[in-house]
Amino acid sequence: MKPAYRSVFRELLRRELGERYRGSVLGVLWHLLLPLSQLLVLTWVFSHLLQARTQFEHLGYGAFLALGLWPWNLFSNAVSNSVAALTGNAALIGKIALPHHLLVDAKVSASVLLDLAGFTVVLLVLVFAGTPLKLSGLPVVLLSLAILCVFAIGFANIVAVLNVFLRDVAAAISQILSLLFFVTPVIYDLAQLPEPLRQAMMLNPFAAPIVAIRHAFLGLPIDWWLLGVSGIVAIAMAYLGYALLRRARPHLEDYL
Amino acid sequence: MSGLPLPLVEVNHISKRYPVLANSSDRLSALWDMLRGRTPTRHTTVLSDINFKVMPGCSIGIIGENGAGKSTLLKLITRVLTPSDGDVVTRGAIGALLELGAGFHPEYSGRENVRLSAALYGIGDAELKEKMAQIEEFADIGRYIDEPTKHYSSGMIVRLGFAIIAAVRPPLLITDEVLGVGDESFQKKCSRWIDDYVNSGGTLLLVSHSMYHVQKLCREAIWLHHGEIEMQGDVFTVTQHYLAWHESRRTGEEVVPDLTKAIFDYGIEKIIYNNAVDDSALTAESGADYTVEVVLTSLDDSMPVVLVGWVREDGTPVYGISSEMDAAVPEKLGPGRYRYRLCFTKIGILPGRYKLRVHSLDSQGLRLFQTIDRHVTITGQSRASGLVFMPHSWE
Repeated sequence: MKPAYRSVFRELLRRELGERYRGSVLGVLWHLLLPLSQLLVLTWVFSHLLQARTQFEHLGYGAFLALGLWPWNLFSNAVSNSVAALTGNAALIGKIALPHHLLVDAKVSASVLLDLAGFTVVLLVLVFAGTPLKLSGLPVVLLSLAILCVFAIGFANIVAVLNVFLRDVAAAISQILSLLFFVTPVIYDLAQLPEPLRQAMMLNPFAAPIVAIRHAFLGLPIDWWLLGVSGIVAIAMAYLGYALLRRARPHLEDYL
Repeated sequence: MSGLPLPLVEVNHISKRYPVLANSSDRLSALWDMLRGRTPTRHTTVLSDINFKVMPGCSIGIIGENGAGKSTLLKLITRVLTPSDGDVVTRGAIGALLELGAGFHPEYSGRENVRLSAALYGIGDAELKEKMAQIEEFADIGRYIDEPTKHYSSGMIVRLGFAIIAAVRPPLLITDEVLGVGDESFQKKCSRWIDDYVNSGGTLLLVSHSMYHVQKLCREAIWLHHGEIEMQGDVFTVTQHYLAWHESRRTGEEVVPDLTKAIFDYGIEKIIYNNAVDDSALTAESGADYTVEVVLTSLDDSMPVVLVGWVREDGTPVYGISSEMDAAVPEKLGPGRYRYRLCFTKIGILPGRYKLRVHSLDSQGLRLFQTIDRHVTITGQSRASGLVFMPHSWE
């Protein structure tokens, strides 16, 4: 990154982070309050109202869900926030010379940073509440989160560019993300599915990192092969995203 | 390194086409064309085969009628837009004031917007701290610097934008007609700054419809016509031809540009002092009537405003009045020609040497175009001191 780009990126990131709770009274406190209240609500609904159970005897459903939901949100929020990364900055694109990818990068980074912070808070609460999380799994967790981030960057660039040409993308992407959410083992465990479906499920490249994070924390075996494939797909996706942005670069201003 | 300086900007045969987006299926086909790396099938050409260089220290005015492609050209040079064909090579930072508030996010405060602009000019944190005070001082918008820019008046936006440019002092300054938004004192401040900038080796690329500004600030000019360079060269030659072309389009006949005199949008054709054709009017008696007859020209045929004033030899204004203040209506002599007659009854200024000053202004009476001063000696017997005669009586 050129030095000038670095300070531009930092400035854009500062804006993204500052914008989230601009004008609210609690401000930064929301970053702590939101994940906690979300965890409380989910635990109450699923374990008490729906009596949901996991096959992990020692793990409450709330904790089980949290371990999958925050990594998923990390990806999904980054993508859905980035849809408008280019269209929402029409005030900048076409008015001043600015490397376009920085706009997407800043959106993704801000979103990922906030969700990582939220995940950390949730993990701390889970540990305090006595959930037996194995810290030895941390490297695998970080690796899996990195894969999800690379996926997010790729998807973010693609949807941001497509949305410039067709504004329908913004509407469609939330539906696509919620479909992906249900075909990824976040609210359920793969073991609960019948065998042929379970095999098919692992074709979903998002499944491997999510499952790996949960298994790593619980000290269960990791499917390295699937995680590796997922990583390669993620890198290909990121490459595709940047290639698309590069190709669209001279045309973007014309459609904003 | 050779002895010759390298051009700051080289525009090599660039063209720009915009896609036609009449209906939503156009967007879909445009996306498909983009993905295959082809040029959109339906497009309009805004600029074609533009070719020129900007050497360090140059000052070039870009003129042309609306839609000629002037702003698009500037955007291509600043790399905001990408040319469809050809390329633009630039050396060094470019300061650009293209559109009102361009690059300012309305939700963010002036200070935050300055931070991003500074980052784009490659100014680091330490340097910015130093420059911020400078920017605040130049913009002179007080506590508004910490308000969201959506609460700014258009003048404040320009002030802030220009203050950043003034602090950065880039080797090349590109500006589209935005400076006209600021108030009188700020326009003067900007003009002074640009004068100083050009004189101290700065390079300027200016788009303006005011031939007065172009002639004042630039040494060269480029006349764009329907996306092509119609003429390029010395600022007076090009602006004269451009104005002559406008004239001929209006009257329908060929007009040969008069290159001997500068042409103003609103100019003074002649002044008749006190009905005299010789120099006898250059002395007048205190307490007598004095008439000033002014014939003004107006390029766009709108009614120009005249301002007539008395100024003491040392420059102290004594009295000035404009046709706009009195809502006076001129006599129309023909297309673009107007005559005002103003009579000062019983001129109440004391004997001495004065200047009678006549200004031509635009039809709103906002912008000043031409000024003609003439020495007039007021004679008389009065031994009172000061400048004016005040009616009085001893009781």
